[in-house]
Amino acid sequence: MSRLALTLILALALAAPGGAPAASVQAQVRDAARKPVADAVVYAMPATGPSEARSARAAIEQIDREFVPYVSVVQTGTAVSFPNRDTILHHVYSFSPARTFEIKLYTGKSPGEIVFDKPGVVNIGCNIHDWMVGYVLVVSTPYFAKTNADGIAQLRDIPSGTYELRAWHPRQSAAADARSLVLEPFATPTVAFAVDVLPRKARYKPPLDRLKY
Amino acid sequence: MSAAPETRKPFANLSSLRARIVIFFVALLVLVQGLGAFLVIQANSQIARQTIDQQLEQGERVFRQLLKQNQARLEQGAGILSADFAFRQAIATNDIGTILSVLRNHGARVGADVMTLASLENVVRADTLDNARAGKPFAYPEIINIARAEGKASSVVVRGTSLYQLVVVPVLAPDPIAWVGLAFEVNDGVAKELQQLTGLDVSFASRMGTGNWQLHASTLPVSLRPALLAAFSGSEIEGVRDEIEIAGEDYETRLASLESRPDKRVVAVLQKQLKESLSPFRRISTSFFWLTLAGLAFLVAGSLLIARSITRPVHRLAEAARRVQQGDYARHVDVEHHDEIGQLAVSFNHMLDGIVSREREILRLAYEDGLTALPNRAMFNEQLDQAVRTAKRASAPLAVLLFDMDRFKTINDTLGHPVGDQALREVASRVRHVLRDSDIVARLGGDEFGVLLATGGAEHAPKVVAQKILKALETPLVIDGQPMDITASIGMARFPEHGEDAASLLRAADVAMYEAKRTKSGYSIYDPTHDERRQEFLTLLGELRRAVEAGELVLHYQPKMSLGEGRMTSVEALVRWSHPQRGFIEPSAFSPFAEHTGYSGEITRWVLARAIEQCGAWEKAGLHIRMCVNVSARDLQQEDALVQFLSTALQAAKLPAGMLSLEITESALMEDPRSAQSTLRKLRELGIATSIDDYGTGYSSLAYIKQLAVSELKIDRAFVSGMEADRSNAAIVRSTIELGHNLGLTVVAEGVETDHELAELRRFGCDFAQGFYFARPMPADELEKWLGASRDKAFGIAAEARGEA
Repeated sequence: MSRLALTLILALALAAPGGAPAASVQAQVRDAARKPVADAVVYAMPATGPSEARSARAAIEQIDREFVPYVSVVQTGTAVSFPNRDTILHHVYSFSPARTFEIKLYTGKSPGEIVFDKPGVVNIGCNIHDWMVGYVLVVSTPYFAKTNADGIAQLRDIPSGTYELRAWHPRQSAAADARSLVLEPFATPTVAFAVDVLPRKARYKPPLDRLKY
Repeated sequence: MSAAPETRKPFANLSSLRARIVIFFVALLVLVQGLGAFLVIQANSQIARQTIDQQLEQGERVFRQLLKQNQARLEQGAGILSADFAFRQAIATNDIGTILSVLRNHGARVGADVMTLASLENVVRADTLDNARAGKPFAYPEIINIARAEGKASSVVVRGTSLYQLVVVPVLAPDPIAWVGLAFEVNDGVAKELQQLTGLDVSFASRMGTGNWQLHASTLPVSLRPALLAAFSGSEIEGVRDEIEIAGEDYETRLASLESRPDKRVVAVLQKQLKESLSPFRRISTSFFWLTLAGLAFLVAGSLLIARSITRPVHRLAEAARRVQQGDYARHVDVEHHDEIGQLAVSFNHMLDGIVSREREILRLAYEDGLTALPNRAMFNEQLDQAVRTAKRASAPLAVLLFDMDRFKTINDTLGHPVGDQALREVASRVRHVLRDSDIVARLGGDEFGVLLATGGAEHAPKVVAQKILKALETPLVIDGQPMDITASIGMARFPEHGEDAASLLRAADVAMYEAKRTKSGYSIYDPTHDERRQEFLTLLGELRRAVEAGELVLHYQPKMSLGEGRMTSVEALVRWSHPQRGFIEPSAFSPFAEHTGYSGEITRWVLARAIEQCGAWEKAGLHIRMCVNVSARDLQQEDALVQFLSTALQAAKLPAGMLSLEITESALMEDPRSAQSTLRKLRELGIATSIDDYGTGYSSLAYIKQLAVSELKIDRAFVSGMEADRSNAAIVRSTIELGHNLGLTVVAEGVETDHELAELRRFGCDFAQGFYFARPMPADELEKWLGASRDKAFGIAAEARGEA
């Protein structure tokens, strides 16, 4: 997790426009009950239009028969690998319209990278383990962040300008309203989002020691 | 006996013991068995229904379990199907052709009849049965809603005319991307399977809103299905059991609601045929019925037997009692058993013996005289009746004798009844002994006896029998060592001359007996003139009562001649009844009855008073005539009254007592010797002379006479008048005269009628004589004339006497 986060930060830092002084946005996502919502994605769409990453990479690991992280957010054009850290095989797939793919049974390093070139939600699963669910939000902006356990997402190094700030959660019952935001240089506004989130349904996951595959 | 015919027929009378026993037991059994049957049938049907209900309930549980399992199986299948990668992949292609084919293909794998794919927004994307539905809303959104919450859902749905079990599961990739509906038709096959597992008839029916019920599947034959539909279209039966009649068969029915909403109801109809379920209970009821019938038959037979064993001996006893009632004591009741009835029979037999002996005793008492052990009057009358009837048939002679003791009352009065009873016993015994066994002797009462001579015959002629009886009584009875003379008077009557029947024969004999008594003849045979005399007597008896007061009685005087002096020295006063119509009546015609009626005392007093008065009158007139008056034994018994009366009368007439002489018959003296003796002594003390009348008829000894204070003996006329014919009579007269003289008594001879008699008496030295030879009794005035007129003749006698002397 920390490694991935580091990677993302690095990527963002590299992506930041060099000349203009940057702003940062802190987003606070709560649910209807005012509880902080983790794993929510907050991203800012520049009024200047979508942008695609160049040679950006990301990884979604399979650890202990779960996708890690549960929720990923990538810029369009990002190549995502699916390294298998388990000793058993996985068969990762997605039938989502944003990106349909299938990585047949493998272990260790994933046989190839999947490039997410269309914005949208990609729901990923494992054909062998029905409970394994993962989400990849593909956005066409480099300014995005994921809420931590406190429901706080930090968007840094955003060049000043006009943005549309959006929030998303894989189990949201409805999309939260987008916020228009004009960022002054060095500005650090805080934006609160209220997102109704359905509870995560626990799917049956057999204990490992009983399943020797 | 009205009950007699009933004993033959056991049920002719329902109140008979046997009928009652049988009816009681049968009624008891019917009651108990009826109650039992009622309870058994009740319980049976209750158990049957409970069993059926349980079967149905159990069936329903099994059914529901099966449905659930089925549903789970279908859901599982659906889940597996929806998770199939290829299936998901195909769904994800969004190519309708591909989707339809994968739906068909995979649907066939789990046996779904219809597969439907719907979007997450409930819009049909593909349908294997009718793809025209594509693009239209899914028909059962509510099921999807459940599936959204539960991950799966199932329900029964009606589509067209078919019923389906619809299972809806999401297509997971791995989040739901669509809904797939798997529909399994609920058809007859499904019903059949359920039937095999539940043992019930299973039908499925549905109803949309208030529309008609629709039958989708059933195990019932197709022909019966409309009836089933009709049966529960009519009634709104809901979930609970009920009976439904289908084609004449009752089905216990239970509705298992599968869907129950106002607009849609789906039910499973679970049924069990009652006949089939009830058949074991029917068998029990049938067995029970036959058992009851058999029991009833056995009971009727058994109770009949028992009743018969009770009633037969009872009937026999009743029969025996009836025989006893009719007087048949001969047969005892057979004692068969030694039970209670047997004991009753034994007691009955003892009772019978008791009755027999008592009846014999009663008969004996009724027909026997207790004192003499002879038959009594009742028996005698009966025997006489019978004898008369027999005699009538056989035209045989028959005779009845009645007799009683003369002056028996005196014995009873003076010696006491015990002596009288002994005398009667002795008389009875003697009479019995002189008769044949075939003759009947009975004591008719008092001292009266009757004899029935069955056959007459010369040797046994009544007269002969009468003589035998008199002879038997001649020997004096000795009672308590004291001899006692007794005489009887016998009356006889013969059948058929003197009477045609018992009553008239007895009356005739009675009349004859009276005649014998009157004439002192010992016995008398009936003569019709007796009746006249008797009649006459009865009239006289009534008239005699007023004769004394009316002065109809007169005294006649018969001269008594002194043979030594040759003149009349005294007269005997004799009473005569000068009856206004009949003229003079002799004392012999009324005096015995005067005695009977107790009237003699009055007559005697009248006679004595009149005689003394006359004697006194003559004395005053210078006629010195002694007066002799007869007195009876009864007069002597009233000694003080008699003596008092005489002394008063003599004083009144100023007549010396020596002028009066009382004549007492020998038999009167013998009747009551003690009282006679005492009276005679008192008379002599008074100076009155006494004379024994009719001497020679009373068997009294001279020694006895000697003790008596008498001065004169009067020889009975029978001896005097018999002297001429029989020398022995003359000897008796002579010896009597001699004996009298030896005892210092004067002797008088009565009934002198001829010269010869007078001569003989004179020769024997007799002192006095009286009789028709000298004069008849005559009134006082005539006697006076006679005295004057016969002085010469009287002296003639005297001269003759003197001359001879």
